[in-house]
Amino acid sequence: MPPKARPPIATTEIRFRSLFDDTPELILYQNEKATILDANRAFLALVAEPKDRVVDRPYDDFLPPEVQPLFQEKLQEAFAGKTVRFDMYAAQGNSAPRHWDVVKVPLLENGVVIGVHMIARDITDKMQAQQEIVTQNQDLQQFTYIVSHNLRAPLASALGLADLLGTEEPGSPYFEETRTHLQASLHQLDRVLRDMNTILSIRDQKSVAEAEAVPLADVVQQVVQNLQEVVDQCGGTVRVAIPADLSLRANRAYLYSIFFNLLSNALQYRADERPLVVTVTATGGAGQPTRLTVADNGSGFDQEQAGDDVFKLYKRFHPHRPGRGLGLYLIKTHVESLGGHIAVYSRVDEGARFTIVVP
Amino acid sequence: MDTLIIDDNPTGIFLTTRLLRREGQPADVITAFVSPVEAVAFFRQQVLTGPLPQLVLLDLNMPLLSGWDVLDALKPLEAHLLDRCVFYVLTSSLAPADAARARQYPLVAGVLHKPLDGAKIQAMHARLQQTRPT
Repeated sequence: MPPKARPPIATTEIRFRSLFDDTPELILYQNEKATILDANRAFLALVAEPKDRVVDRPYDDFLPPEVQPLFQEKLQEAFAGKTVRFDMYAAQGNSAPRHWDVVKVPLLENGVVIGVHMIARDITDKMQAQQEIVTQNQDLQQFTYIVSHNLRAPLASALGLADLLGTEEPGSPYFEETRTHLQASLHQLDRVLRDMNTILSIRDQKSVAEAEAVPLADVVQQVVQNLQEVVDQCGGTVRVAIPADLSLRANRAYLYSIFFNLLSNALQYRADERPLVVTVTATGGAGQPTRLTVADNGSGFDQEQAGDDVFKLYKRFHPHRPGRGLGLYLIKTHVESLGGHIAVYSRVDEGARFTIVVP
Repeated sequence: MDTLIIDDNPTGIFLTTRLLRREGQPADVITAFVSPVEAVAFFRQQVLTGPLPQLVLLDLNMPLLSGWDVLDALKPLEAHLLDRCVFYVLTSSLAPADAARARQYPLVAGVLHKPLDGAKIQAMHARLQQTRPT
């Protein structure tokens, strides 16, 4: 059988030209001085320059100064005959900074490197996804730690109290008091488990939250109505300033929970010296981010001391008042499930202002 | 033996108090703070003039100030407290890191895991007798 005929040079040329030009990765061909001798369409599109303004220019013209030495070094390695691969985070031309996976491949002719091809793949999305996983893993570890601690605390009490119960005289006041504490500890244990259930069910639904256009004024009014009795009892006032037509695409139950928890907090941590005034506002709509605020004139807290812990699970800032440190954590989880974020500003004895922004 | 309990949980205070009593030191004076902030204020006030507890049982997980924060706040007083008070960290946490961290505080004689029991109390008292012969 005769040997297969080689494809005509022209066909090969078309094939490789297409590979070079049409690949979505950036491809450059450079000489030893790092001058660009050829650039593919992806590169030209990224730096937004026509080919004749790219070819014959040093690649450094398109790189920020801090990565230029790295590129020089890697180019030299490639000219020594090695294929080199590295990651870097940089802008190219006027592009936004991206994560790049870069390969430099030497082109050999008779055993001598005559040029180097660079192929750079944009791995920004992958890097971000990876970072997200790392953050989520850290959150999860923190969560596990907190849960184990908060399960162990009432359990340790219950163990000790049960031991104590064995030696107290049945029917004596101490016996009864021990039994009451034992019951309280078991209830606390049960509450922690119920809290976990609540938190996990919110997290579960994160991706499938049933979003609808919820009129904000409606939800807030409903919350105020349900808390009206408590508000009246303490002689407080709730002022609501929300445009009637302003709505937010969200899960109605989440929004209710956010406002309910914030208002309950304002009621619980009111200052005894003055009547409580809570102001609820909302702005936005028409393409603008929705901005919700709930501000009170209550006892506030020491923000410097609280630091980053305000929204953390089971963190508390009012040692003499009841509270489990769950409310603000739930609010934050709800807000994040809406794609928004929450911040607080507070001063001791002046009050607290919570601001939620949902893009 | 005067004992001070710093624990934000009233059940914790009740339990520790009763267990200490059961171990038979009826003459013990046991006081307690549910607020770590008040406990720190107490030490600041007492350190120069007032009487101090010989034994301090310190919870770790408390609002506003953790047990570690309390120990940090007491650092400036350490020299005055060292030969007068023995601190034990009394926590429901089982984190192995706690013991290592506790060793960084000369005031702290050890870490005890809740619940307290007879054996732990005896060991504590033995340690106190040893360091402070009457």
